[in-house]
Formats: sequence, structure tokens, C-alpha cells
Amino acid sequence: MTTTALPDTSGQGSGAAPVAKSPRQRRSGLFSQHLGTAIIGAVIGYFVGHWLGNVIAGGYTYVQNSGENAVANTLGLAFMVFGWLAGVGALNYPFAKIIGKSSRNAEEMEAWSASLGWQRYFRYTADHKVVGMQYVVGVLLFMFTGGLLAMAIRAELLNPNYHLFGPGRYIEIVSEHGTVMMMMATSIIVGPLGNWLVPLMIGSRRTAYPHVEAFSFWVFTAGYMVIFSALPYGGFPTGWTGYAPLQTQAGAGMISYLLGFAVIGIGMMAAGFNLLVTIISYRAPGMTWSRLPIFVWAILATCALLTLATPTLFAAGLFGILDRTAQTAFYVAEHGGSSYLWQNLFWFFGHPEVYIMALPGFGIVGELLPVFTRKPLFAYKVAAAGMMGVALLSFFVWQHHLFQSGINPDMRPLFMLTTELISIPTGFIFLVGMGTLYKAKIRFEVPMLFCMAVFFNFLIGGVTGVFLSDVPVNVTVHGGFFVLSHFHYTIMGGLLFAFMAGLYYWLPKMTGRMMNKKIGIWHFWTMFIFFNLTFFPMFLIGLLGQPRRVFQYAQNLQTLNEFSSMAAFCLGLSFLLFAWNLLYSMFIKVEVAPANPWNSLGLEWQTPTPVPYYNFERIPVILTDPYHYSEDGAPAVADLGVRVSAGASTAAT
Amino acid sequence: MATTSTPGYNPTPEEIEFETRAEISSIWTGGRLFIGMYAFLLASLAFSYFYLRSSNNGDLWRPNHVTAPTSFGWAISSLVVLAALLAIYGQWRLRQGRVLDWEVAGWLSFGAALSALGVQIWQLTVLPFYPGSSGYASCFIGWGVVSIMTISILVYWTETTLARSIRMRSEQGAGAQLSGSAEGRLFRAGVESCTYFMGFAALSFIVFTALFYLL
Repeated sequence: MTTTALPDTSGQGSGAAPVAKSPRQRRSGLFSQHLGTAIIGAVIGYFVGHWLGNVIAGGYTYVQNSGENAVANTLGLAFMVFGWLAGVGALNYPFAKIIGKSSRNAEEMEAWSASLGWQRYFRYTADHKVVGMQYVVGVLLFMFTGGLLAMAIRAELLNPNYHLFGPGRYIEIVSEHGTVMMMMATSIIVGPLGNWLVPLMIGSRRTAYPHVEAFSFWVFTAGYMVIFSALPYGGFPTGWTGYAPLQTQAGAGMISYLLGFAVIGIGMMAAGFNLLVTIISYRAPGMTWSRLPIFVWAILATCALLTLATPTLFAAGLFGILDRTAQTAFYVAEHGGSSYLWQNLFWFFGHPEVYIMALPGFGIVGELLPVFTRKPLFAYKVAAAGMMGVALLSFFVWQHHLFQSGINPDMRPLFMLTTELISIPTGFIFLVGMGTLYKAKIRFEVPMLFCMAVFFNFLIGGVTGVFLSDVPVNVTVHGGFFVLSHFHYTIMGGLLFAFMAGLYYWLPKMTGRMMNKKIGIWHFWTMFIFFNLTFFPMFLIGLLGQPRRVFQYAQNLQTLNEFSSMAAFCLGLSFLLFAWNLLYSMFIKVEVAPANPWNSLGLEWQTPTPVPYYNFERIPVILTDPYHYSEDGAPAVADLGVRVSAGASTAAT
Repeated sequence: MATTSTPGYNPTPEEIEFETRAEISSIWTGGRLFIGMYAFLLASLAFSYFYLRSSNNGDLWRPNHVTAPTSFGWAISSLVVLAALLAIYGQWRLRQGRVLDWEVAGWLSFGAALSALGVQIWQLTVLPFYPGSSGYASCFIGWGVVSIMTISILVYWTETTLARSIRMRSEQGAGAQLSGSAEGRLFRAGVESCTYFMGFAALSFIVFTALFYLL
């Protein structure tokens, strides 16, 4: 990067800005920070923390009696996270603030990072597009590892008598699968697409807190390491829900779960906080609430949940860690605590978490439907209201997870009612989709195929969800494969299909390269067919009585389980098709993406590709919402103040 | 977030003003949202307190009505409230154009918060009960950790705001904090958010002091 001497138009004061060394000069060689230094920092941090924990608590009687030093394990992992963040440079800015540097001083670093080509993807950078791409890779990695664990689960369930794993190892695999999928792969889906797209969609050159945004990604990756550190410690036997008293009886691996949740919680709060403030404060002139793209509404609702529900998860994790290290008794009934306290705290976060996963999917589908139907989004305001309604109501339903585990029976009808109520705004969103599809001339491109699958899958997931909200059904099928199938239909069938739609749709913008359509269609059909063949039989398996998280089952269920497992392996192969498509389209046979391949009116498509570091040459003035498809004389979406990119001018037709 | 040194980036004065306003708005919104997040964290602790208190499993909510050292508790809360009052007073003086008054009040506020942190850590070393001896004891330890976290945020936020003030004065001259420049306006928005959070923290300390020492 070259530092050009431009006249001081920033209005930052009368004093002349000091001529600084190029940031590259200051941060070159051994002192530059990247993924490698993060790994070194994490390793050093772990050993320092572990040693410190032994010094602090090694002499305690309970440590000597149990042979397990929870303090050392906790400090080891906590210092590992700290070392990781320090190593990658995430703590430079907070420390620089101690000597009075403002965020504007830090911009220098960001400008530096923008000049580093592909290397920037391995560094701490405050460019929202780089962070978005880092999240894309991160989330795909989380999904890949979670998916491998799913394959192991289905392999074990091929046979009720012959076992690949022991019961302990099996539950470790199930727990890791659930935790990685629920807490990492799907809960932070705002990370990849939200971070990359929201500033572009609202006409902003930046996010509100770029350092917080980058911090969230690197904290998340640290959380991934912490969660997987459970395996050498013997895993955790609780599933992703971590119920006490099993939690308090579990071995050292439980610390990884509890600390991992706290660390991931910090990342979720940071990601949500940044995007929420960005949407509120950084909308371009003319971007009124009624012109906000529906995807941004979804991200807004999701981020509200991330920022307000996740502190409870953090508190729950913190109390669990205190139980194991400081020997408190939050979740130990014999000492004045209560295992139900965990359930309440966990699900107060956990149910909004379901919508943290679902809402971005609704937003993606809502954003794509008008593009591929060439119709305005039907009942836009109802969709936005539905999303906010879902977000609000999600705070009032958590006790339905306790129907079967000790809730006062008199409270059941109330939470049954609130749970059923939430199906109303969800239904709004579904009907908005149906209304948009009605009498439409649909273009069945790959992203649209995935959108259609979302409606099919989510209908099954949603209807079974209404069943489950009713106490009699809930009590009957609780803890079985019926519930398992229901939430896979909503989360995988809803969110994951929508995420795939979003990737196929926006990757050409993000990378400048088209995904191969033929492989994409193969990917879609294999994923759609085998997803349904995997999970639909599980409704039957559940109704026939097979419980979750148990590696042995009744002989008469073997055929259905075998069928489900074989379909699951094929489903896994369909993801390999996606991986191949990525590799093939991005690196082997590159097809340069047109400026606006889908003829979208979205503001993000009106920028050049690759998108400049500052997004917009001039801050756009928004003139209307981006859904005036097939309308004669519809105004341009925005006055960009510069030439309109090729394709944008014809997108309304 | 581009800078004037980013190649190809050449904002107009109107754009700079627009972005400065957005940044000030984000400081305002972010400050309030942070309080909202923190309120949910504290509410989780308060929920735990009342849940375990009402459950009273094995009559072990608070055997023998044991209480954490009261004098320490009142000292910590008083210091946090004092820090908040000083910050509020300082901000009032800053609005009247008295930067020095704000800085003096700010450093005193910083000192009070730092002292509260020290007393809080000290208190945790002299507790008359074992952490796992009762529901009350557990909740109190939880509060101790949250209290340390809260005061640490106060200390950090106050110190960084004061350090920024010093740096502005040394780089841009006296009165930079009051100037109409972007930097000056952003600085004052930051002071306001910091003060607002301190007021919220003081309120939360009053509530939790009542829970743990009075009820």
C-alpha cells in the first residue's frame, strides 16, 4: 500500500496529521500476525494456563482426591483462547486504546490488510467482505466436521447388535455432532452472508464495529478448538443440551463444552451486536425501514436474538464452569442448587437459538424468490412483521422443552399456547412465499431449486412442530427420533437448504466466478432426495419407539435404520458434490461471472465485481425497495452517483 | 472502513459528514444495546438467585442465614456508585466546556472503580462460607465473578476514554475535545455512552447489594 498525501478533508481537527510509516513497514517480517502466529499463541497459552492452574489448585484436597484438576484444564483452555486471539492480532486494538488510540487510528491497519491479496484471508482484518469469506470457509468447515460425525452415527446405527463404537464413544460422537452443528455451523449463519452482504444491501461502506466483527470470527474459531478439545479429555456425554446432573457427573471433557459455549457465546454476541448496530445506524440516505431488503430484516431479527438471548447462555456456561472449578453448586441439588436451573437458562437461550437458525433462511428465500419469479415480494410488510414477531415470541416459549422434565403441570397450557402462537408469524412468512410464487413464471436456476426445497422441507418440519407443541404429543414422543427428525427438517431442511441457495446465488458476487450449473443441479437433487429419504423414516422410527442418543435399538427397527443410514451416506456424498463444484468452479474451470447474472435489482448487485474495499464510490441514495420486478416504469433502486454497472439497468424486466 | 489513504477512495465532504453522523449514531446505539445485553446477563443471575431461593432444595438456600461480609459489600457498591456519580458530574461539566473538570472527575471515577475492583477481589478471599455450601453461596460467587467483570469494564472504558482525551490534547491542542470536528464529536459521544453504562452499572450494584445483603 502506498500512503498518499491527500488534503485533510476528514475534519478531524486543525492539526496536521503526522506522516506515519506505512503499516506494512511497521508490521512486516516476524512481527506480522496471521493464522500461524495464532496457532503458536494458542499452544503457548494452553501450556501457560495449564501450568498456572496446577500452581493455583494442584494442592487442593479435592483435586488430589479426584485426580482431575478442573482449574488447570479451564485455565489451559481459557489461555489457549487468549493466546489464539493475541497471536492473530485481535487484541492489538483493545490494547492500543489503553494508550488513547481511537478507531480511526486503527483504520490504517485495515487499509494495510486490504492490500495483502489472498493472505488477508488468513489474518485479522476489519474488511467485512474478508470476514464474510472467512466465515464462509469457517462455517463450511464446521458443517464438514459435524457431517463426518453424523456419518459415524449412522454407521453405528446400521445394526442393532454389531457395534463400531462402545456406548461411551457413541454418545461422545453424538454430543460433538450436535454441539458443532447447533452451536457453530448453523447458529452463526449470519456470519458468512450477513457480514458480507448487509453493508452492501443497506448502502454502507463499512460495518459499525469492524473490529468487533473480525473479533467475532476469530473467537468463533477458538470456540471450535475448545469444543473439540473435549475428545482428548474423554468427551462429554450430555448431547448438545448439557443437562445436569449428568453435566456435573461427567469427566474433564465437560469443561470443554461449558467453556466452549461461553466462548462461542461471546462470538455470537459480538457478531449480532455489530450487524444490529450497522443496520440501525449505517443505512444509506433513503434506505427507510420500508425499503430494507427482506434479508436484512431477517438479519436484524436474528441479531436482536443473538445479542439478547446469548448472554443467558454465557451465564449458564459460566455457572457450570464455576461448579467445576470454584466448587459452587448452581446445578447440584444436594447442595442447594438445581439441575432445572440449567434447563431454564439453557432453553431461555436455546429456543431463540432455533430462530437464530431459521430466520436467516427465511430471509435468504424471501430475497431470492422475487428474483426468480420476476414478481415483487408478496406482502413485504407482513414478512418483515412476521420475522420480528417470531423473534419477540421466541422469548416466551422456552418452557415447552421442560414439558417432560419437571415443569409445574399447571404451566404447560400457557407454554403450549405461546408455542402454538409462534406458528402464526411463521405461517405469515410461509404464505408470503406462496403468494410470491402464485402465478409466477419461475426460473428454475439452482438457487431457486434450493428455495423450493426449503418450502417443502419446512412445511414438514413446521407441521410436526405444531404437533410437538401440544403437551400430549410432546410427552408421548419426547426424547425420540420423531423429535430428532422434526428439528432436522426445520434446521437442515430449512436453513441449510436456504444457505445453499444463498451460496449459489451470491458466490458469483463474492468471488466473481459462477458455480457450475450442471453439477449444482446434481447436487440439489441428490441432497433433496437423500435428505428426505434419511429423515422421513426417522418419524416412523421415532413413533415406533426408538430413543435418541442410544446406540442399541430394537431388532424390528433395523430395516428402517438401515434404510435411513444408507440414505444418509448418499446425503453425505451429495455434499462432496458441492465441495467438488466449489473446487471445480473456483479453481479448475473458472467461468467469470457476469456483472448481474440473475438480473437482480438488489443493491449489492449494482456494485462492481470485485467489490471495492470501500464498497461504493459514492454513497448511494436509495429511491425505492428492490422488488419492483416486471413493473413498467419502475424507478431505479438507487442513485449511485456514478455509472450503473452493466446488467443493473435491465434487471427490472 | 476505508481511509483517505485507500487507493481510489475519495469521499466528498458531505459523505464524510454523513459517515461521521452514522458513527456517532452507532456509538449511541451500541452503548444502549450493550446495556441491553448486559441487562440480560444480570437478569440470568437474578433469575438463578430467585430460582434457587424459591426451590430451597434440601433447605440449603441459605442455612443459618449466613451472609457475605457486609462491610465489603457496602464498600464495593458505594465505590461503584461514587464512580458513576463522578462520571455523571464530569460529563455535566464537559457539556459546559470544562474539559479539565471532566478529566479530574474521570480520574477520580477511575480510581473509585479500581478500588472497588480491589475490594471485590479481597472480599472473595475472606468469605465465611464454602462456595458450594448453599444456593446463596453459589449465587454469591457467581455475582462476585460478574461484579469483577462489570467493574473491569468500567475501569477499561474510563481509562481508554481518558487516555484518548490526553492523546487528543497532545496531538490537536487544548480544546480538541470540545471542537466541532468529527474527532471531537465522536469523543463526546463516547464519553456519553461510557457515562450511561456507569449509571446502569451503579444501578445494578444497588439491586444486587439489596439481594445479597438485605433480603
